[in-house]
Amino acid sequence: MTVRPLWVGLAAALALAVLPLVANPYLLFVGNQLSIFVILAVGLNLLVGYCGQLAFAHAALFGIGAYGTALLKVHLGVPFAVSLPCGALLATAVGLAISLPALRLSGLYLSLATLAFAQFTLWVFLHWEPVTFGAGGFRVPAPSWPIPGVTAGIGTFYLALALAVLLTLAAASLVRSRLGRAMIAVRDGEVAAQALGVDLLRTKAMAFGLSAFYAGVAGGLQALMLGYVAPESFDLFHMALMKAMIVVGGLGSIAGSVVGAGAVLFLLEGLRAFKGAQEIAFGALLMGAVILAPRGLAGLLDRLPGWQERYLRAAPAERAPAAAVPREAPP
Amino acid sequence: MLSYLLLSGLTTGSIYALVALGIVLVYKATGTINFAHGDQLMIAGFLAFTLHVLLGLPYLVALAGAVAGSFALGAVAAQVGFRAVLRTSLVNVVLATLGLAFVLKGFARLTWGGISDYLSFPPLVRPEPILIGDMVLLPQQLVVTAGALAVMGLFALFFRLTTIGKAMQATADNPRAARLVGIRVERIHLLAFAVGAAIAGAGATLMAPLTLLYPDIGFMLFIKGFAAAVLGGLTSLPGALVGGIAIGVVEALAAGYIHSSFLEVSAFVAIMATLVLRPRGLMGGPPPRRA
Repeated sequence: MTVRPLWVGLAAALALAVLPLVANPYLLFVGNQLSIFVILAVGLNLLVGYCGQLAFAHAALFGIGAYGTALLKVHLGVPFAVSLPCGALLATAVGLAISLPALRLSGLYLSLATLAFAQFTLWVFLHWEPVTFGAGGFRVPAPSWPIPGVTAGIGTFYLALALAVLLTLAAASLVRSRLGRAMIAVRDGEVAAQALGVDLLRTKAMAFGLSAFYAGVAGGLQALMLGYVAPESFDLFHMALMKAMIVVGGLGSIAGSVVGAGAVLFLLEGLRAFKGAQEIAFGALLMGAVILAPRGLAGLLDRLPGWQERYLRAAPAERAPAAAVPREAPP
Repeated sequence: MLSYLLLSGLTTGSIYALVALGIVLVYKATGTINFAHGDQLMIAGFLAFTLHVLLGLPYLVALAGAVAGSFALGAVAAQVGFRAVLRTSLVNVVLATLGLAFVLKGFARLTWGGISDYLSFPPLVRPEPILIGDMVLLPQQLVVTAGALAVMGLFALFFRLTTIGKAMQATADNPRAARLVGIRVERIHLLAFAVGAAIAGAGATLMAPLTLLYPDIGFMLFIKGFAAAVLGGLTSLPGALVGGIAIGVVEALAAGYIHSSFLEVSAFVAIMATLVLRPRGLMGGPPPRRA
């Protein structure tokens, strides 16, 4: 029997869809957060796992989506139906903009440039007080849904779930498309990809833009769900969380992104009361996954009898994305 | 005003230069960046605090203890954590060291206090300022700057004069040739991580009396040191010094003449500008070969 990740994923989404009927508000929140994390992880994996670009701006773009969506609503009274797409597009635009210098940089320099950009964004959130309300954050009014009997929380839950399913399916088909294959080729060897006619600039820019779009959508949903936006939700700890999701799940695997998002959320909620313990757990998880299981949970899923995730990969861990740096054979 | 800003910029800059020195050392030897560098520094600072403040040992003993402890921590982290991933890819090294950074931060938070618990380190010398003309000098700043320069000088001597230092230089220049003449390249990698951490330990102990100690200081200093290293050119040890002092002075001037909040952001702007305009930095050469 063939177990297709598609059916397993859809079954999980269906199970999540009946959650509001039975669950308490806390479980509803966790379910909602799961959808948002899945969107974040899938988007980040497109850039890091498939295209091999080690960028650190995902939490900042997540924040730009959240701030964009919420501030349009708060300052200009734009309804969420408009402000959420606008927030996502703003994040996409910023993602494309940071991809421009990134196209000249590879490997470590790219990480550093995006890290600096992320810290700069956080600084803007903190200090542009007339617009962003500074360190304390601000409240966002609850969305109202035009369907009678649907409360704000439940409406957001289903919106997030629907978007998570849609965006995951889109990513799964994207990575098998011409663009997806081009991204993988760029990851595995820029020079070789170029020799095959892959447009490096265009492919990298698309990967950055797409990944930023996912982060922006997730950010808008986060603002809707919490009804509150503050800079501390978009700091480096959250960047490390997102990295942990895709590394634990498996770089270069859509199913892995989903599973990794779930695993990280489970751990995060389990250790909610202890910030220090959270940091230790995530740090250790990230380190342990990289050292002991570089293929992540996706590597385990692959061993299930009949499990077939049709993804194209030469284990990405084996190829340095810093293709500009000549590597010598290991001893 | 200007002389005061320049001096305080020089002081923080010399600390950044020490952080950058460790980063450049690891980069030259292994071709990767240790993202846990700042948090190793932070742990060394807390170690010095424990020895000096809690146990009442003399400052110089605490300095030696922090350097030794940091060296050991760096060696263990490299042996247990980084050795296995160094041979795979850059992504893996960055993520593994990032993981270690958070482990250390969480450990410090649990061991030495909560998130807003800022520990203060007693000053080494009398805090009264010295007036020379209309220049105001804080003795503490002079001690820190002199200490940082002394550590850099010692390191330069170690690098130039000892056999181990020369072996490290040879490995940085050409790992394959170094292996051919009998240098154990893996051991040099290990040593680079450990020596880098030891320099960070010295930096932490020097800096502690000027700033407060808190778990999040590590990553902040790492980014500043990284910025300094990139500005100077990631492969250049003198570049680390120049970059560190440049970042420290620019920061102090931006905070003094524009707005105090510009203190934090000017380093990031400097990084982005350097990477866009001159990715090699001021004094850097081409990237090292990875072994």
